[in-house]
Amino acid sequence: MVFGKTKLELKVGVFVIVGLAILVTFILSIGKFKTWTAGYKVGFIFNFSNGVKVGAPVRFAGMDVGEVKHISISMPKETGENAKVKVLCWVKKKVAIPVDSTIWVNTLGLLGEKYIEIMPGHDYQHCLVANQTLEGVDPLAMHEVVRTAKNIVDNLDQGIERINKGEGTIGKLLYDDSVYNELDAFMKDIRKNPWKLFFRAKEKK
Amino acid sequence: MINDFLSNIGRRTLSFLYFAGGLASLSGQAIYLTFVPPFHKGRFLEQVKKAGCDSLPIVSLVALFIGFIFALQTAYFMQRIGSEMYIASLVALSIVRELGPVITALVVAGRVGASITAELGSMQVTEQIDALETLASNPIKYLVVPRFLALSIVLPLLTLYADIIGILGSYIICVFKLGISSSLYLHVTFDALLYKDLFTGLFKTIFFGMLIAFISCYEGFNVEGGAEGVGQATTRSVVFTFIMIIAADCFFTAIFYFIFP
Repeated sequence: MVFGKTKLELKVGVFVIVGLAILVTFILSIGKFKTWTAGYKVGFIFNFSNGVKVGAPVRFAGMDVGEVKHISISMPKETGENAKVKVLCWVKKKVAIPVDSTIWVNTLGLLGEKYIEIMPGHDYQHCLVANQTLEGVDPLAMHEVVRTAKNIVDNLDQGIERINKGEGTIGKLLYDDSVYNELDAFMKDIRKNPWKLFFRAKEKK
Repeated sequence: MINDFLSNIGRRTLSFLYFAGGLASLSGQAIYLTFVPPFHKGRFLEQVKKAGCDSLPIVSLVALFIGFIFALQTAYFMQRIGSEMYIASLVALSIVRELGPVITALVVAGRVGASITAELGSMQVTEQIDALETLASNPIKYLVVPRFLALSIVLPLLTLYADIIGILGSYIICVFKLGISSSLYLHVTFDALLYKDLFTGLFKTIFFGMLIAFISCYEGFNVEGGAEGVGQATTRSVVFTFIMIIAADCFFTAIFYFIFP
């Protein structure tokens, strides 16, 4: 009877422990970075963060090396300054980020997932240490692109409108018949009197 | 004529209300008595073994087949649009969020729930439950609490087993049949999963476990009329548990969809 009871407890114990082991495996595998990997935190400051989210990957020279931990905004104290967004990132310890690196928010793939891109610089004598911050390059926001494109199109549009109205040199060339008429008359005249090509008016003294 | 019709509706409404009330009162008492000594550790462990260890082979088998089936069915479409790589993430998400918990709950409801109803039902028919009461031991404390506790602890654990085995089944199909590389498969699988997927999946199984325990015990306690009554009660218990599990799953999925978008 005692034997039977210990066997029961053993079975239940094994069942529970293996179940918990599976749970731990899941948790560790789901976490993108193993919790026991050493790392440090650095901050990047942007004027425009383009919708980067907590948990977004950080890529150093195109390789995933960390993730965004926290995003905060600091409002300007004086007029004339921009509001700054501080993106706090966790980066693996073996990755050293030179202070002259270029950092910006990039878009991944078709779905437009945002991530922090670090293009490493060359100054490995001076690398970021923990909790230091670095100014990032502002990403090209879509509305900026659209605005610039709109300016260009507007200018072009004005030019084309003037051409259509027959204003300006090109407009007159396209829509004014006088140049054509002159040329036509000239050709006819030349055909009739080809000797005129060889005629040289005497210069007046 | 119209009298019959009305009283029929009345009778059905009343019996449903009796059922809901009885179930609620049984659940309330069982949850209260869980925290009141004496604790029957031996009976609890026995129920964990019956519901957990003994259900493991059949849950594993069903989960493995579900993994096979799901990988093949997903591959049918994914190959047409040329993205076999995403079979892994789709299968992992479906199994961890939905199929693992529900399939496990249904298997356990059919296997353990039915046996609980039959066991308690025959005890009721042979008046053993009345005998327990005359011996001054509360039948709810003695019979329901260990089963309820065991089921609500065992079901999340069984779901974890089902999740991992289902993913294994789909791994076998994808790696050995569709030629996806093993490391890519694992990477894509765990890349797609988030903590919330795992925990919403596990959280609802606790309630599935309670549903199975309470409905089966209630039906068992309310058996009338001998062996035939036991059979009817078992059928009712399994059917009702199945319906309630699916309904509760729908409810939880909707809630989680809005809480954790």
